[in-house]
Amino acid sequence: MAEVLVHAEEIGKTYGTVVKTVALHEVSFEIEAGEFASVIGQSGSGKSTLLNLIGLLDTPTTGRIVLNGHDATAANRKQRAALRNDFVGFVFQFHYLLPEFSVLENVLMPGRIAGEAPSVLVPRAEENLALLGLEGLEKKNANDLSGGQKQRVAIARALMNRPALVLADEPTGNLDTGNSRAVYKLFREINEELGTAFIVVTHDRSVAQQTDRILEISDGALVQDVRNEYAMPRG
Amino acid sequence: MLSLRIAVRFLRKSPWQSILIAAGIAVGIGVQVFLGSLITSLQASLVDQTIGNSPQLIVQAQQDGQPVSFTPQLEHAMKAQSEITTVVPTRTYSGIFRSGAKNAPLQFTGGALDKLDTIYDISGRLVAGKASLAAGEVIVGKDFADTYGLKPGAAATFVLPSGKPATLTVSGVFDFGSAAANSATAFVNGDQAATVLGLQGDQYTAVDAQVKDVFSSKQVASALRTEPALNGLKVTEWQAQNSDLLSALKSQSSSSYMIQFFVLVAVALGIASTLAISAVQKTRQIGILKAMGMKDRQSGRIFLWQALILGVSGAAVGVAAGLGLIALFTFLGRNSTSLFPITPQVGFVVISFVVGVLVAVGSSLIPSRRTKKLDPIEVIQGG
Repeated sequence: MAEVLVHAEEIGKTYGTVVKTVALHEVSFEIEAGEFASVIGQSGSGKSTLLNLIGLLDTPTTGRIVLNGHDATAANRKQRAALRNDFVGFVFQFHYLLPEFSVLENVLMPGRIAGEAPSVLVPRAEENLALLGLEGLEKKNANDLSGGQKQRVAIARALMNRPALVLADEPTGNLDTGNSRAVYKLFREINEELGTAFIVVTHDRSVAQQTDRILEISDGALVQDVRNEYAMPRG
Repeated sequence: MLSLRIAVRFLRKSPWQSILIAAGIAVGIGVQVFLGSLITSLQASLVDQTIGNSPQLIVQAQQDGQPVSFTPQLEHAMKAQSEITTVVPTRTYSGIFRSGAKNAPLQFTGGALDKLDTIYDISGRLVAGKASLAAGEVIVGKDFADTYGLKPGAAATFVLPSGKPATLTVSGVFDFGSAAANSATAFVNGDQAATVLGLQGDQYTAVDAQVKDVFSSKQVASALRTEPALNGLKVTEWQAQNSDLLSALKSQSSSSYMIQFFVLVAVALGIASTLAISAVQKTRQIGILKAMGMKDRQSGRIFLWQALILGVSGAAVGVAAGLGLIALFTFLGRNSTSLFPITPQVGFVVISFVVGVLVAVGSSLIPSRRTKKLDPIEVIQGG
């Protein structure tokens, strides 16, 4: 049996104190190492909230998240930051590259935050850039790239610390069809080559169809958990 | 030092903003260095002009008109005070200059010229004639000489305290830079003064002294009063005689400190507000760095580093600008008698530099705190 990477136990999120908005009801699931999964749902359904909770960017109002064996619910801000840096890579709809730094420096950033030596980091960053077809762009400023290139740099950065899990929130939301297809092809290749688990949030069912497992969120509840095209209705 | 690297990149990304903050610090510290040095030098100049060439401590007999015996014990007791730089026994009397129908009172100070020079610097301030106080010679002030047309070699007749006239030859003319001193002071031979006053060889009207630090005169006077060799003698010092000057100097210092304080407050507010704006501008970058695992303290240090870099560079430029202004002031006033030389104090300049850096770093505490508290989700959710 594969190692459990994410253990989400009845996690819920409610925003507001006076007027309360429930973004996510008590959701439970597990993601195994090397899985390639997607979270699908309409806009405002709670899928991004779920991703932010798994990625320890946000804290659940209820429930418990165990990430790679570490109980993140009990962790403080510093420990959560360390867990994010060690185990999670993020790819967002907006690339969020740092305009003050070059392509190579952006890719190196998670490793530098971890405090690793440049002699270890630079070859790995160059390897990532080569994997994503970005050779020759190392010294360019992140702002001087096309939309597709920026998103590939963001993916290279997400892979920098060789995370066990990459969380991608609408990663192709700002890309054209050709670039979108290329990005998902890359995700799949990385998943197979490096054994990195992926959870991709999308509202596009055709994108979700390319993943091994589909978690469908509706009105903050997990309504379907489908593996290998076989739907498994919950409840 | 990732925080430092990021801080440098943030500063370089907005060069004009960085230059403006550093310029603000530079102006503040430049004003601080120039104004502080100006006031210190002005006060030193005022003190020097007022009491620099006059006795700062005077030992006299308790009763007016009685002589002081300048014994080796008295001399030793006074010279034993480490603050005292020179001890000069003098014989002083009043006389009246007569020129036709005109009368002018004069204060004659008698003593050895080389000794008198250690306080009054007569030789150094001579504008005509020669520095000589042989018997029968007198050195007079410039204003007095000009008023009565006395040139070196001229004979002048004075009425002595005894009422007898005495004719002396003007050997030189001095300029003390003060009309009052130049028109009412004269120097004569010490033995001649003894004859006029009817004093013995070791008897003087006063023993004058100067001290290294003029503001130590109070302590030195107190110490002298306890000396057995000064029994029956009174010690007066310049501060007790010049309370108005002291009060003016203190007021000047207070106003200078106030100006410097408010300049620094203005600089601090300027840096704080600009860094706060910078922190807001960089919210997205900080948020994404935190999402990648940057810890709160590490992110907070970015703005501390920025402030330190801006503070050090701004304060360095400010110190250079302040010293440049001082050099300009000194250059422009090199031929002017109304301007005084400004001497920058190394200690004060170093303190100003450190204060500049500390003000800058202190101003970064709010943006730094804000950055530390930033939650990455605020940026991620905001898009």
